[in-house]
Parts: sequence; structure tokens; C-alpha cells
Amino acid sequence: MAYKIGTDVGGTFTDFLLADDDGNFEVYKTLTTPEDPSIGVLNGLKEMADAKKLPVVDFIRLVDIIVHGTTVTTNAALTGNGAKTGLLTTAGFRDTLQMRRGIREQQYNNKYEAPVPLVPRELRCPVKERVSVKGKRVKKLDRDSLLECLRMFKDEQIEALAVCFLHAYNNSINENEAKKIIQEYLPDVYLTLSSDLLPQIRFYDRLSTTTLNSYVGPILKNYIMQLMHRLNENEFRGILLIMQSNGGVTSPGNAIKNAVSTMLSGPSAGPVAGMAYAETHNYRDCITIDMGGTSFDVALVKDRKPLVITNGKINRYLTAVPMVDIHTIGAGGGSIGWLDEMGLLRIGPKSAGANPGPSCYGLGGTEPTCTDANLILGYINKDYFLGGKMALDYNHAYKVIEEKLAKPLRTSAAEASAGMFQIINANMADGIREVSVKKGYDPREFPLVVAGGAGPIHAGMIALELEIPTILIPRESSIFCATGMLLSDLRHDYVRSYNSLLTNKSLEPMEILFNKMKNEGEQQLLTEGIFHENIRHYFSTDMRYVGQYHEINVGISEEDLKNGRLKKISSRFHQTHDRLYGYSLKDENASMEIVNLRVSSLGITSKPGLQQRAFRAATGRNSVKSERKVYLPESKSFELIEVWDGDRLEDGIVINGPAIVEQVNTTIFVPAQYKLIPDRYSNFLMQLIT
Amino acid sequence: MINNDNVDLMLVSILQSRFKSITEEMGLTLLRTTRSPILNEARDFVTGLYDSKGRMLEQTEYIPILAFALQPVCQYIIKYFGDDIFPGDVIIHNDVFTGGNQNADVAVFKPIFAENQLVAWAACKGHQADIGGAVAGGYNPEAREVWQEALRIPPVKIYERGKLRRDVWQFIFANIRFSIVEDDIRAHIGGCNVGERAIMQLVDKYGAKNLQAHIEHLFMLTEQKMRDEIKNIPNGIYHGQSFMYNDGVNEKSKHKINLVITVKDDSILFDYNGTDPQTPGFANAPYSSSVSAIMLCLLMVIDPDIPHNHGLMRPIDINIPEGCFLNAKFPAATTFGNTIAGPHSDAILKAFARALPERVTAGWNRALCVATSGSFPENDRKWADILFLSLKGGSGATEGVDGYDHIGLINCAGGLLAQDYEMFELHNPLFLLKHEYARDSAGPGKYRGGLGVVTEFVIQGKDTTCVTFGDGVDIGAFGLLGGLDGTLNRVELKYPDGEKYIAKTKEILKDIPTGTVFYQHAGGGGGYGKPSERDNKKVLREVKQELISPEIAKEIYRVNLDSLTSKRY
Repeated sequence: MAYKIGTDVGGTFTDFLLADDDGNFEVYKTLTTPEDPSIGVLNGLKEMADAKKLPVVDFIRLVDIIVHGTTVTTNAALTGNGAKTGLLTTAGFRDTLQMRRGIREQQYNNKYEAPVPLVPRELRCPVKERVSVKGKRVKKLDRDSLLECLRMFKDEQIEALAVCFLHAYNNSINENEAKKIIQEYLPDVYLTLSSDLLPQIRFYDRLSTTTLNSYVGPILKNYIMQLMHRLNENEFRGILLIMQSNGGVTSPGNAIKNAVSTMLSGPSAGPVAGMAYAETHNYRDCITIDMGGTSFDVALVKDRKPLVITNGKINRYLTAVPMVDIHTIGAGGGSIGWLDEMGLLRIGPKSAGANPGPSCYGLGGTEPTCTDANLILGYINKDYFLGGKMALDYNHAYKVIEEKLAKPLRTSAAEASAGMFQIINANMADGIREVSVKKGYDPREFPLVVAGGAGPIHAGMIALELEIPTILIPRESSIFCATGMLLSDLRHDYVRSYNSLLTNKSLEPMEILFNKMKNEGEQQLLTEGIFHENIRHYFSTDMRYVGQYHEINVGISEEDLKNGRLKKISSRFHQTHDRLYGYSLKDENASMEIVNLRVSSLGITSKPGLQQRAFRAATGRNSVKSERKVYLPESKSFELIEVWDGDRLEDGIVINGPAIVEQVNTTIFVPAQYKLIPDRYSNFLMQLIT
Repeated sequence: MINNDNVDLMLVSILQSRFKSITEEMGLTLLRTTRSPILNEARDFVTGLYDSKGRMLEQTEYIPILAFALQPVCQYIIKYFGDDIFPGDVIIHNDVFTGGNQNADVAVFKPIFAENQLVAWAACKGHQADIGGAVAGGYNPEAREVWQEALRIPPVKIYERGKLRRDVWQFIFANIRFSIVEDDIRAHIGGCNVGERAIMQLVDKYGAKNLQAHIEHLFMLTEQKMRDEIKNIPNGIYHGQSFMYNDGVNEKSKHKINLVITVKDDSILFDYNGTDPQTPGFANAPYSSSVSAIMLCLLMVIDPDIPHNHGLMRPIDINIPEGCFLNAKFPAATTFGNTIAGPHSDAILKAFARALPERVTAGWNRALCVATSGSFPENDRKWADILFLSLKGGSGATEGVDGYDHIGLINCAGGLLAQDYEMFELHNPLFLLKHEYARDSAGPGKYRGGLGVVTEFVIQGKDTTCVTFGDGVDIGAFGLLGGLDGTLNRVELKYPDGEKYIAKTKEILKDIPTGTVFYQHAGGGGGYGKPSERDNKKVLREVKQELISPEIAKEIYRVNLDSLTSKRY
């Protein structure tokens, strides 16, 4: 027997999905060990070994692949605990990093301060050099001013260094010369060149991303070395892969080099998992939602590919490397309900977290949370939480909601809970609009794939609000991201700026640049052990109408490029523009301009497949467990409805709402407008009754 | 949850956030689809929703100065057209004498019908690249009356019952220089369509009558919250005065803004009696523009999270006598009006300083804008740019917090982005030499003002013209409670022959030769509290960072610099 493991380090728990050769999936969870997360990972491996009745070393030797999602880079950026970093930049432009183009995100709040820059001014060192907008070197790199900076950096004992010169995307000669000298003087410093990491136009975007890479690089490097050390100690013989923000995985060495690409390592695996489930029902698209204790993540997958953005922000720092477009709002089981100054009920973004957690946990929580409301409304069974492992304190939850919300609102605890349920659902529906409606997609055309402990209680009502007809609830929805990691391919993204009108003449130089990037991707994947036949390359361009300031990314096929099919290429742009913004200038024959060329290189890995379970003949109503009183939003009253055992549902059964379906880790609320059907993959399908 | 009035408070809450989200969606559409950089890069636009009576339901403004000027226009349009409004109509408007705030800020309104009745309005308003008149772009320091500034568009239908009025459309755009404006107005219509679609869904779901009842309740709650905020301001009569310099006709002229704020319990009055009469030039403000300036300063001293709807405006009384330069009479030139928010905000902040010393800021750097245009040397291609990167100075400091660096004019409150250098050089034949914080620009104080910036570039194109419009060369951003003023603005041209020219704040400079070096110093914000009370460590650190000179540290901050001799600190 050989195993594959996906492991996702979260704030509270480290999740594991263990897949064996036969396609069996098992879920494990250990407590996260924040001071060194690799300890928690090893604890999980030990737990699995115990379950398999094997000595740890014998078990680990059977593991082929570990795919790992980590939060160390995100945490470093969020807490300001990155490496001591220096910045070399073109003389005259020392403050760009700190200026952030002069934006203040809160217009009317005069107490709102700018974030502390990743590199303070005294460590931002100007160097005399210059390349023009056309890529011509107009000033050679001044060696003396560079050496002066390097001496200062040495004195200051920096751990990492970022180099970003004006127009280096167009001509990297000065950056490369600087690199040679730096490697001589400061050989041990973690170094990032902007022209290596992200050779694309827009100085601030490139500068911020390059600096962030150096800032978190040494942290990721130390962590990965530590993890590899622990695995090797236990005779791990397989391959370790690191999850990246772009929804693909990469080798540890490459992750260390492009550390900024792991900022969303973890959440970015969600949409990959969602797509795998959606595919079992022959969908090519889906919207995934993941409702945890404090936050609600939404992402959209189109044509099997998660949407990717290149203007993400981490703690108000811009990062322009591609990352899966995950929209996060502060809505989760622990989200706290409160009254604003107008007396209107609000929920979140503050959360009671895992500790003390919701009031009903009885761990000292005294705030009314979403979970408390769900308990009062009967969606959660107080005697069957986590399969009965945790008793819930109904009376305490009731008292808290009554005191803090119901009394000031002059209503009952039940009505206040119903209000909380309604408002948090509206907030989450708005979150889905962010990634769909606001990007020109109609959410009704996408199945909703639901993850996270609390997700399945709310999914029905959220979908109803958006008129989404199909909801898919995976059985293992509580470890969504760990699942996604096991299902991810290797992925590397490349970019080159190329500014030109889109004409027949521009196609050839484009092809040359595309092929350069393609070769780079090919080589990288080959060194990561992927065979040529499993490598795919996707070309795209960032384009706009002449005169526009914002580009949109449009796919371009190698075939069309090679055969000079200009019309096809441009009509694809017009179509995308029309979808995103409601119009195109196709009929006006507007000229188009190319800004960047991009290649995504995918190495297709062998993945454990989702397995169908054996057919379970329907024998009647065996799986009805009980009945209980549950609050129904339509009638605004409590009614007795059936509770089904989710682990025992038989094929062919159709459960019409309103109903509750209970499993050990999750509870599903089926609203009156929906019906629930178990599928052959042990997942649940909820459909709008038409 | 039902109370006595049959109002479901949950629905009120949901509607409020839904309205906000719809206006954001409309804004996003504009941001992405408009072609002029002043719209999509500088984000000089606002989107809003109004009920059937033209009362604001919500708005999203990236730039506050044109934010509160849509409701009066919407109400004017309703009055003007009466019953003559149909589904599918689209109405355009810019006229500053019927509620507009600036000629170049053109608004598009679309009535929304559901259940066979008018239920709401969607509106988008943005600063257009051109609006006709004597000079491209509309900033004409030589204008003496409105007709020299712009094409006046009192409300007119460009679509009726869903059909384009081709004749009207062509008439309008025959009077506007750039075809880009036509595309941008189409984008505004697209934004309104997005709002219309979303409101119709809401009506479908909740019913028009039910919706209106809950909207009234939302107004009522917002008004109550605003009254509570006003109650937090101590009762009293607060006086604030400031001056605008140079009306563009007489360089030495000086114009007084005289403001008395009266706070009585839960009501507030802004009275501008005693403000100087309107000027003969373009340095006048339309009423709407002045109201927006008041609202943006007021929001800065109360809880800014209050919903932006009609209820917010109800407890506020404003008296700006007609004929003063903050409420200019027909047919005055007024293009400079939005920029008067600089001096105007000084008077408001000074008045509030006595009432709310912990909330108010010291003075913000007044904008000195330089609209620059010309053609590329190699192919005669035309270009134009408002040089946002060089005009953004610092904001005033406040209790507990230094001013915000390089934030720019108060009209925009940090919503205006400086251009990216590489895109700037790609779009314009200008070669950047420098763009950095200006040392010693911040007004010293216990909390220092925001830093200003220095910008230098070489003009490489042909036929280059600079049009200046601004202020801040006579006085710096004012310091407060012992804090000192920020530095003065300065624009200087160094010609290839070695000659230097210091630009005035409102003039047109033509035929600037290739090779000229443009220099601009955008001043810092005013300081707050005595400099001697500033934390010594902060001063020492900024000396080390070369943001404060040793002289200022010693003489103004009274800091001993001996500890700086060691390498580390």
C-alpha cells in the first residue's frame, strides 16, 4: 500500500486527507503548533501511523507524496515579523514603497494611519542608474553608489535584499550587474531581483511584490528546511510539494525562490477541491464557499480554472503575482451579533474564534454568535454536535441572545436569532456577488459547492437569495483545502511586458516571447520530475482598448498565434470585455493594445480519484432519525420537521425540504424550496424544486 | 422582527447594505469601462441611488467633492420633467446653476420603473475629459462667464422610452472635443443599467410599497444617528475664517471665507454671511460644490460609518448667501469651484477646532494642479495629463496621529492615486528625474503634518502647454494648537537656456520648449500641538531617515542630536 497526503495548516487545526491506492480517503485533524507548525504536521503523521498500526518510520516510508499548505508567509506579513530587508532602487525614487501611490483606504477617517513600510527609509538605498521606457540603458549602474549601499547593508546586518530598478522589466542589464556585485559582497543574503520575479510594467506593483518576496523569503526557507529535516529524520522517501497562491503546487526549492507566491497557500486549494466535486456531476464551472469559525471564503471556477487576480493585497501591501481570487468576509460560526448605533442588527466581522468560542460551547463565551443562533433555531442538535462528542449549553446561549440582542430590540430570543440567521446569510450572498456579479458572471449558472463546518446549514438560504438552483455538499466538507491540495497540479506562472498595438506585425515577437516563457516552464517542470507528455502550457495576454488604463487578461491559443488568426484573438478580447463591463467596441473597430504576455505551465500529477461507493438500495425510510422543531424562514415559526441520518441515506431517496440531514461533522438544512439527493460519491446534491 | 410600524428591522439592515453594494457595483463598472484616466485612474466620479422623490438612498464616492451634488439635481429633474418620465429614459445634466457642482462633472440619470410606477433613480456622475468651452479640458483661468467654460446641459433626455435620441446625442458631442467623452458617457449609462437591474430585483422580491416603507425607516434611523452625532458636539457658536488667494484676474487678490457654525443640541447650522462676493474670474464655487466641501469636513469629525443617505442631510442647515464666491450667481465662471474646497475646508476645520479639538486636523496642503498637454516628438500623437503624482501634498496632523504623507488635496481625501511612474512615462513624453518625500516639508508639531513631495521631470515632447490652477503659494497648510505650518507649494520651469520661471497659481503657459525641466514642490500638512512636545525618538529617527534636517530638529524640535553619532539607534 502507498499513500498520498494533503495537509493544510490552519489557525486552530492542521487538517490531513490521507488517500490510499484503492481510493479510500480518511480525515485526520491535529492541533496546530504555531511556534513551529512542522511539529503539528509530524503529530498528524504519527496519528495516522497509529491508526494503521505501524511504527511511524514504516508508515512514512509508504508515503509517496505530501502536499503541504502553509501560513508562515502570510503570518509574517500580517504580524510584521518578516526578515530584516534592504531595498536597492533607482536614485530619485526612494519612497515609492512607502507612498503606496498616496492612497488612504478610509477617506473620512483622519486617525487612519498608513501601514508601516516593509523596509524603512534608512534601509531603502538609491543607486544611480537608469533605463528608459523604451528599454534603452541611459545611465550605467554606478558601482560606487552601489558599494556604498552594500556596506551600509552589511553594517545593518540585513537578512534579505530586494532590487527594483525603473523599467527593469524591459531591460534587466543594470539589475543583473547589481546582482553579480551583491553576490560577491553579501553572499548569504536572500536576494530578489524584480526582473527575475515579475518582469512586468508598473513600477509600484513590481517593487511591492519584489520587496514582499524578500521580506518573507527567509522565513519560508527556514520553515521548509525544518519540515524537510523532520520528514527526513523519519525516513520520508517521497516527494514534498508546496501549495501556492495560484492554485497549483511546486517543489520546495521553487517555493523558497518565489516565497511571495505562497501567500494564499492553503485557501487557494479550496476551488480546486470544489471543481473536483463539481466535475463528478459534469460541471465545468462552480462557485465554492467555505464557512469556517471566523471567515467566509468565496471563489469562482470557470472552465475548470479558478479565477486568478494579479492585484491582491496582504495587510494593505500589494502583491502582483497571480493568486486565486478568493474573496473573504468576516462571517463564520463564531461571528458575533451586535447592535449598531442606529439600533440595527449586525454580525461580524468580530468573532469569538475557537477560544472562548460561541456561548453555547460553555468555555466562557458571553457573546451571541452565529452558532448560538443556529442552536436556538434548531438547526444544530444540541445532543449531536461533533457526533455527540461535545455537549452544547442551550440555556446559556439563549440567555446571551436574549440579554444582548432580543431585549434591546424588544423582541424574543428566537426572533433575534432568526434575524441573525437572515443577516449573516445576506452578508454571505453579498460575498458571492463580489466574485460573480461584479465580475460579470451570473451566479445562477454555477453550482454552489459548500465547505466548512457551518456552511451546509446556511448554503440553502444563501442559494435561495441568489436563485442558485444547484448546491453540492461534499461529505468531507470540513477539510476542503487539504482535499484540494491532493488534487492540484504543479503550476508556474510567467510574465513579460510587451507594449504594442495588436496587429499582424506584433504576433511574431509575441510568439517569440511566449515560447521563451514556455521553455522556462517546461524546464522547471522537467526538473520537478514531470514527464513531457504531462506538461501543458496556457498563453494569455493582458490587453486593453487604446486609451484605457486597466487591462484584462484574455486567453490566446498557440494555434491561433502560430497561424496569425488576428480576428479570433481580438474577438476573444471583445467578448471578454463585453462580459466584464457590459459593452465592447467591436463595431467601432477600436484598436487594442497589449501590455503583458503570460504563460501558465501546468505539470499534471497523478491524483487519487474520487471513488463511487457501492449502490445502496432504498428500503424505505430507514434513515429518518427523528423529528424536531426547527425555525422555518418562510412561515417565521418553529415547526416539527424530519431529521435524517446523512451517513445512512440510500440511493434513490429524495428528501423534500424543509428537512434536516445530520452527519458527524456537519448538519444540512434543506429549505422548503429545495430537495436533497445523496450521490454515488457519498456527497449530497440539493436542487431547487421547480 | 416586527415593531409597531410594521417595519422589519432586519430588512432595513439588509436594504442598507444592499444599496451600498449596488452603488459599489455601479462604481466598479465605471472604473473598468471608462477610458479617460481622470475617471479610471483618478477615480473622479460618484455613483448613487435615489428614491422616487429624488432622495438619496446610498452613494459610493471615490472622491468626496462631487459626492453630495446628485440629490439636488435628481430633485430638479423630477420637478422639471414632471409626468414626462418613462421607463427607458436616460437624462444627462451638468448645469451648475440647476444643482451641478462643476461643468465638467457630467451626470447621467436613469429612472427605474417597477410595478408600473417610478420607484427609484440610478445615477452616475464623473469628471469628463472635455466639456466644450474655450479650452480643452475645461480649466480656463481666463474665463469670465460660464459660456467660455463649457457647454451647458440643463437636463435633457438622451434616451426616451429606450430609444436613443440621435439628434440630441450628436448635438451634445458635436460641442465636445474628444470622442473619448462619448465612450465615457456610454460607460455612465452602463453603470446606471447595473443599478436599475439590481433595484428591480429588490422590488420583485419585496414589493414597491413595502420597500418604500422600509426606506423611510432607514432615513429616520440615519437622521436619528446624525442627530446623536451632532449632540456630541458641544453647543456653541464657532467662528472660522480663511482666505483664497488670486482669483485669476488679479494675482494679488485675497478673498475671505467667513463661517459661523452654530450647534444647538441636535441641529447644526453653517452660515456664510460675510463671505466675500463672487470674483470676476473662474475662482467661484457653485452651491453644490460648497455643500460637498461642508459634508466631507463634517464626516471627518463624526463617525464616518454613518450611511450616506438623505437622512444624513436632514439635521444640517446651510446658508450660503447667493452672490458670494461660495455660491456664485448666474452667469459666473466657476470651474475652479471644486478646488476652493482647500481654502473652504480651512475655515471649517478652524471653526470645529474649538468645538472638537481631538477630532479635527490641522490644515491640509492646498492643491496646485498643473494640467499639462502636448504632442509626442516622433509622431505628433497628442497627450494630456493632470500630474496627480506631483500635486499630492500632506494632510494636517490630528490628536494622536501624524498627518498622512503624499495624500493630496482634501477634496479627494486620499482617494486620488498618484500615477505609476512606468505607466506615466509610457503615456506621456516626460522623463522622470525624481519623485520623493520633501525633507522638512511637514509642518512641525507634537504630531507632524503629512509629508509633501518633490517631483522633477524633463519635458521631451513638442508644443507643451501647462495650465496651472490651485493655491497654496501664499500661505502653507495651517498648524493647530501650537503646531506649525506646512511648506508652500511651488512650480518652477527651468528652461534649456538656463532661465527659470516660477509659475503663478492660475495661468496658461504655452510653447514650453523641449528639454525644459519641470519642478514641483507640493507642500506638507500642518502640525498639531507644540513641536517641543514631540517624542524625541521619532524626531531622531526622522533625522536619520533624512526626512528632517538636523537644523530643524535642533531649532524647532529642541532635540539634542549627539546620540546620532553612533551608527545604530
